[in-house]
Amino acid sequence: MNSLLVERPFSSAPVERPFRVASLAILEEWVRMLRSKSSASPAGEYCDRMDPSLQARSADDSRCKPRSTWLAGTAAKIAMACAAFLFVVCCLGLYGFAGELNVPATVTAGSGLSIPTSGSGDATLYLVGPGTAIARKVQLGANVQLSGEELENAGRYVIALDGNSTTFFVTAAPVHSVAFLARPSRVPADTHNVISGTAFLFDRYQNLVLRPQPVKFELNENGQVVARTETSKDGVAYTKLDSSKKAGPAQFTAASGDASVRRVVQQVAADPCNIRMSVQRDPKGILARTDPIRDCSGNPVPDGTIVTFTATDAQGKSTVDARIKQGIAQAQLPASRDATISVASGVVVGNEIKWRSE
Amino acid sequence: MRGGVRLGLVLTALGAVALLAPMRKSGLVLAGAMPSVSLNAAQAQPRQVEETTEKAVARDYAAAWQAMAEALDQNRTDLLAASFIGTANDKLRAGIEQQRKTGLHQRIVDKGHTAEIVFYSPEGSAMELHDTARLELQTMDGGKVLHSENATIHYVALLTAAENSWKVRVMEAVPEGQ
Repeated sequence: MNSLLVERPFSSAPVERPFRVASLAILEEWVRMLRSKSSASPAGEYCDRMDPSLQARSADDSRCKPRSTWLAGTAAKIAMACAAFLFVVCCLGLYGFAGELNVPATVTAGSGLSIPTSGSGDATLYLVGPGTAIARKVQLGANVQLSGEELENAGRYVIALDGNSTTFFVTAAPVHSVAFLARPSRVPADTHNVISGTAFLFDRYQNLVLRPQPVKFELNENGQVVARTETSKDGVAYTKLDSSKKAGPAQFTAASGDASVRRVVQQVAADPCNIRMSVQRDPKGILARTDPIRDCSGNPVPDGTIVTFTATDAQGKSTVDARIKQGIAQAQLPASRDATISVASGVVVGNEIKWRSE
Repeated sequence: MRGGVRLGLVLTALGAVALLAPMRKSGLVLAGAMPSVSLNAAQAQPRQVEETTEKAVARDYAAAWQAMAEALDQNRTDLLAASFIGTANDKLRAGIEQQRKTGLHQRIVDKGHTAEIVFYSPEGSAMELHDTARLELQTMDGGKVLHSENATIHYVALLTAAENSWKVRVMEAVPEGQ
């Protein structure tokens, strides 16, 4: 018993036994008839087909019969054989298909199903599929009804009734909802293919809709719309979009059919395009201050971005990290008679100033 | 005479062992073996699958099948949470609860999966697998077999990255060619 599977229960179904016995009996009878025909018709039986020189001799042969008699007998036998053959075929047909469940190969999720049955009396109907396991009494001979609620989940179902069983698939209904992944939530402005959107399409029963569907992706920033339509494949559609030149929140939408989902993508200034600073003496030392810091599209770099000021003189190097506040950054550097002052933010280096105190 | 009886007993015992050994082996396969998953990530779009991710997905997907087979056979919902999440988890739980009420259960002998990652999301948090599974399936009412078959079934599965593993969010058997 290496296999888990046991023998099919169909072969032991009592309803099939009489058909099998009758079929086999008729088959045997048919074979017997054919045999008797060949043995009763030895060479030389039909005298009128023989060589005329042999006919005289053959006419005395008791085995030789007139052709008309033989034809009538043969025709009757052939007719009987055909009838028997047809009966056998019918019986075998009944044997093979008696009580077979007539279920469509696929059913749309949420659609009911009516299954005709034969026979009489009660039987237990079993339906096992994704999220479903039903056993209930039904009346044989009448149609068995499966409700839409019982067939909501897409997948493969097994249905069994009265010793017979079969399988069928439930496939997704039309798109009802979209699961939308928009990444990232915060993106630098004016950057190529930086926003990605992935839409998974589901029907009202949370089945993945595998049929290709158009999905419209739309990025809307203050009325400036970038739209792209993709066709879903195996339930998924995705796109990549550029961020707009202007910083600010953008509405990112994925829509298919009547279903639509919106996400907000915050577009922020990219890295500073250039940094310009000026320095001046103040009572505590040297005050370094930048001009308003912007990215290459002119968007102000967000407040809080770190800007590093560095002063190098004969005593060594002094570094101050300052955050951008209201668009500019400033720092107090120690007093020095002769220093080189530089500024940088991330990978962007600003201007350099030679400071000489009088 | 006594020696002959003894010899007969020994032979009978050996015969019984020989007969029962394969059954025991079959039971072990059903109970605990991790199914084999042959995973191909070469066609994944739009993002390429990293080698470590591919290995993790194969491992976690196999574990999900093992958990599902045991859960459906023993009608235990507690086996699902480690591998299933979202819709797949909800549907499996609902099915097992109904199985428990009706006295049904399903046995799956998993003969292996040939799976392909067809989609890997740009940010790396979700992927879709197409799986061709070779299974021996039995649907049972208590000890009575209602349906049994050897089947090759196609599945579509959505997996999402969890804290330290990949979990199955959607798993649907689909007709061939879909």
